[in-house]
Amino acid sequence: METSKEKASKDKEYADFEEKVKRTIYIDHLSPQVTTPVIKAALAQCANVTNVEFIVNYTIPYDIPSAALVELDDEMQAKAAVELMTDFPFIIGGMPRPVHATHAKAEMFRDRPPCPGLRKDFRWIKQGDGEYEVMRKLKNLAKRHESENMALIKNLLDEEKELAKQQQEALNGNGKKYEMLEDVVSDGTIRKLAHHYGVRLDD
Amino acid sequence: MDGSSERIQFSWGKRRAKGGVKMDTRFYESFTLDNVKYSLYDCVYLFKHGDPEPYIGKIVKIWEQNQAKKVKILWFFFPDEIQKYLRGSVMEKEIFLASGDGIGLADVNPLEAVAGKCTVICISKDERNRQPSPREQAMADYIFYRVFNVENCTLSDQLPDKIAGLGVEVLLNPKDELVISSPNALNPNADDGLAATAPPPHSAVKEENESPDAAVPLSQPAAKEVDAKSPAAVPLSQSVVNKEDQKPVAAIPISKSVIKKEDKKSVAAVSVSQSAIKEEEKPVASTPHPRSAVVENNAKHTQSQNAQGGERPPKKLKLSQEATVKNMTPAVTETRPLELPSRQADRSKWFKISWDDKLQRADEQGTLVYIQNLDINFAAADIEELIREALQLNCTAKPINHPTYDDPNNGKAYAIFSTKKAADDAISKINSGLVVGGRPLYCSKGLLKVPKSSGTFVGHLSLHNIKIGPKQREEQKKAVSTSHCSQPNTIEYDLALDWMLLRAKQEKKFEILHKDHKNAREGFASIGSKAAKAGK
Repeated sequence: METSKEKASKDKEYADFEEKVKRTIYIDHLSPQVTTPVIKAALAQCANVTNVEFIVNYTIPYDIPSAALVELDDEMQAKAAVELMTDFPFIIGGMPRPVHATHAKAEMFRDRPPCPGLRKDFRWIKQGDGEYEVMRKLKNLAKRHESENMALIKNLLDEEKELAKQQQEALNGNGKKYEMLEDVVSDGTIRKLAHHYGVRLDD
Repeated sequence: MDGSSERIQFSWGKRRAKGGVKMDTRFYESFTLDNVKYSLYDCVYLFKHGDPEPYIGKIVKIWEQNQAKKVKILWFFFPDEIQKYLRGSVMEKEIFLASGDGIGLADVNPLEAVAGKCTVICISKDERNRQPSPREQAMADYIFYRVFNVENCTLSDQLPDKIAGLGVEVLLNPKDELVISSPNALNPNADDGLAATAPPPHSAVKEENESPDAAVPLSQPAAKEVDAKSPAAVPLSQSVVNKEDQKPVAAIPISKSVIKKEDKKSVAAVSVSQSAIKEEEKPVASTPHPRSAVVENNAKHTQSQNAQGGERPPKKLKLSQEATVKNMTPAVTETRPLELPSRQADRSKWFKISWDDKLQRADEQGTLVYIQNLDINFAAADIEELIREALQLNCTAKPINHPTYDDPNNGKAYAIFSTKKAADDAISKINSGLVVGGRPLYCSKGLLKVPKSSGTFVGHLSLHNIKIGPKQREEQKKAVSTSHCSQPNTIEYDLALDWMLLRAKQEKKFEILHKDHKNAREGFASIGSKAAKAGK
């Protein structure tokens, strides 16, 4: 088994890691076009970014937004950044969908050092053991949970698409309206109309 | 060797004059090999059998004669090749252009020997040289400003008027700034059509966890698995190539390089630090003395040029005698089958194979296992330790949950085993009933299908119906990178709030679902323990 020296160094490693976790924030709902320099520039107003690690999607079979773990200088900055992004809609690279930020958690880091003192006991269960049936059912339960989760994700993504579509339509509508107004003003129709209705334009 | 090695894509580019004594030679300005376009005066890599590191040269002539396609390569020298004659300091990434007349200046090689493109920028202050931008210089694979005269073996920073019969202007920086290609996926179906620049083999260790969109210049999509029957692997020669001792070169460039994952993950980093190309276990390729094998080959192949004493050896890359472009038959010697130098080593990660590449390869080889229902707090090392203790098998593993979407009750991980058999064993054992901390694990083989993220982002709106002038378009492009806190007096603010509301709802939904799952599991656990007690 490990010597006490090894254990001490592992503990230290994990302690360092925990420190890092405290000053890292997790940003979600990022556009896939956002890159490291963009994030650095975006956060420059409230925090100094030391490292950006993008999360690679291995498990979700849908087109999901990007996410990143952003390491800042210290915990204070991390708090400030998260607060800023929760109180106000903070938009990175494109409008109007804001990003979402939370404090990072240890399990978000794919390359984390092992957590000392973690229970890793295992046992083998064969058919015929009393527990086998239960375990089998638990496995099936887990699988079912998974598909439920995926269904939820799909549902949420569809909702997002709906909202985006709605907003785009509203935007286009507004755009057309303003365009029309502009045209009317620029080509003088409005003066004629004003004259016709006896309304003064300068008000 | 398998006779049906895949045909390497090839096509000619722009034609030039005809020539030759019998007017049977046709010269060209460019060609495309394996979906990479090479033009005259491009800098390319060429491999020599027995060397882990390629040579660099400039294409100065391209032609076809009697069905044989040839290129004339003007060589560059690495600093250690001309150490004897080197005076003063050597810059980082510096190489030296050959000049003068004689052996070692240039050679004619079969076109198929070209193994990839390379960016070499000239930083000479000569007035004929277009001065490169600092960006060009930083991004170039190599730089040069000095020439090495092969006749009198002298180094000079004065560029001569002619080299190899060509005016020196054409050999310097091209008029337009070089397009540095964007990262090319290892996937042969790379999306961008830009020619990939092959990174220098001396490049520094690349970070394993580089973000996907970091510009890692990858070589051509070449990391192909070697067919089990065709054992042509580059030998793992650890020694530094000492050119002084070079014998006449049989110089068969390596065709396919195999990147295999080592058994132990730590060794992977070490072995790959020499070269990412590992030998096959087949007897064919496992000669411990590549140099002697090369010499053996030499004895059997006729070489037109012989190196004198300590002079620079000719770097003539020759295919086997009987071989033409397509028919590669195993060579006379029992050791080295000579193959088309078609595939280039994936040298982008010579020093470290990134996790993503490993995944890809493992999947192809059938050694990738997807494990589910782990405790989400398990780190990579924990999982590996677990596998080792439970199954007595070694593997490399990584937890892969997505923090936003994946259920935290169900931890997922990818594990890469050393052999297919090991992977199969593991799967059957784990599925038959491995329970870790009260959680029955289950696993399956292979990569999950994950769609590539599209460039568009749901929720980023744009105004279509406004005519934008070109200047404004430029500004708009730049504006993509601006970010801000939305102020309450804009339309954008309302829209943004809509999104925030939606997201808050989503969070709630996830919370409820995951809590539900957790409770269900705990319910089960208690049933389980009751059953166990009852069973006993």
